[in-house]
Amino acid sequence: MGMSLSRLTEKTNIWPWLLLAPLGIYMLVFFVVPLADVAIMSFTEPRVSFADYQKVLTGTLYQRVFVNTFATAAFVTLSCLAVGYPLAYLMAHSKPRTAMLILLLVTMSFWTSFLVRTYSWMVLLGNNGPLIAFLQMIGIEQPPQLLFTRFSSTLAMVHILAPYMIMNIYSVMKKIDPALIRSAESLGAKGWSLFRHVYLPLTAPGIANGSVLVFVICLGFYVTPVLLGSPREQMIAGLIGHQIEEFLAFGLGSAMAMVLLVVTLIILTIYHRRFGLDKLWG
Amino acid sequence: MNTFMRWAGFIVVLFIAAPLVIVVPMSLSNASSLQFPPPGYWLGYYRAYFTDPNWLVPTWNSILIATATTILTMALVVPATFALVRHRFRGKGFADLMMLMPMAVPHIVMAIGYYSYFGQLKLVHTHLGVILAHTCLSVPIAFLVLSANLKGFDRNLERAAQSLGASPTRTFLHITLPILRPGLIISSLFAFIQSFDETVVAIFISGRDAETLPRKMFDSIRQEADPVIAVISTLLFFAVLIGIAAPYFVGALRSRVPKPSRSAGAH
Repeated sequence: MGMSLSRLTEKTNIWPWLLLAPLGIYMLVFFVVPLADVAIMSFTEPRVSFADYQKVLTGTLYQRVFVNTFATAAFVTLSCLAVGYPLAYLMAHSKPRTAMLILLLVTMSFWTSFLVRTYSWMVLLGNNGPLIAFLQMIGIEQPPQLLFTRFSSTLAMVHILAPYMIMNIYSVMKKIDPALIRSAESLGAKGWSLFRHVYLPLTAPGIANGSVLVFVICLGFYVTPVLLGSPREQMIAGLIGHQIEEFLAFGLGSAMAMVLLVVTLIILTIYHRRFGLDKLWG
Repeated sequence: MNTFMRWAGFIVVLFIAAPLVIVVPMSLSNASSLQFPPPGYWLGYYRAYFTDPNWLVPTWNSILIATATTILTMALVVPATFALVRHRFRGKGFADLMMLMPMAVPHIVMAIGYYSYFGQLKLVHTHLGVILAHTCLSVPIAFLVLSANLKGFDRNLERAAQSLGASPTRTFLHITLPILRPGLIISSLFAFIQSFDETVVAIFISGRDAETLPRKMFDSIRQEADPVIAVISTLLFFAVLIGIAAPYFVGALRSRVPKPSRSAGAH
């Protein structure tokens, strides 16, 4: 028995390879090759040179777009945290019926196409929308332009990405042992100090998960900034699309795409080392 | 702290809910541009959606592409998941990671890649091209759901069947597949939704001939914000609501109706 078992493990088993082969070949042809195509185009279009990288990394326009993208992603992440933490708290510490209704709402938002949610913000913030009407009602004669500004695209992105943050924090809060909180209270911790030293550290893994996810998605966000943002303050993905659609500048577009890809992968690699990438999506 | 969090929480509920529900009154509005509250109500834009080929063709394209993507994704992912969950071999860690990679790459990067690569293969502006690209993007989510299911699978059930004389094929068909059915259904559903909602790659490669619904919506919002978008948004809103609420109701019904228990001899 023992011998046959060891022989089985010694012999290279071809089953897993046979089962993996179709997907492996598929991913090679339809994932790795197109990605490699972007990498190659970034320094061969229209001729072999690193000129596009030089332009992307040192040109003031591009630097401004990179800084803008990072600042926006950081701001959106912090806002999602500010919005998501209280809601996750409400869900984790309400009666089951309330908690379930909020969970239903967050799940609804999560599964609603972000094109739909982008359109909704266009209605809400439009010149004939409720927010402008409210501003006029409280006596502001000439309300500021809300739509097609950095404000509108940021607000919509916070709304679209908040469910990722909420789900991650909620799943951690739900698992906190109430005995831990009670024992902290019995030792004299209360109010802010209880929250700061006991509750917050316990929810840190959820915050980390949610923040990485929101930040990374936001860095590469195309649709919402293009539709709702100001054309003068593009984010990186929008600028990449613009270069390809308007100017067919594949070299420049690919060089920017590679920078975006490398930054994204660096963040995810650090995350993977600490937590494991499969944990990120839940 | 507690009361502060609760109040903040309720405000956030409004912030999350308002944009979701506003599409319903908007879809019934008779205004030709974005205006809220609507000046009057009618069903004209519903009629417009259900009769205009400019909207119906992309809808049909999206359904077709998402269905084909789901079938192809499952055909590739199911065997691969069995290999990765049930076998140990060299390079497994790398293979596990590769399964998730399409999720890690920003879609705009993949979009350029497909645009150029499929251009050379004459696959741009074809249904097949979009299906091939979407399958790649659906692999991670289908794998995550299915592998979680398969990891929780009690293999003793298969061993029991085999010790009673069932062949490996019979065991697979009569034991393994039925137990995995919920996982298979959910991962298929996720693959379908991933493809149905995918926008960025579709914008770049679907063109006029294989135009998907999200691409059409994107173009329409960018150009003139056709009020029909509110109709589609409302339909999608209710589709999601039904999709999420249905399991609750089915579950509630099932728990009320006593399950007919099957005796050992009932075949």
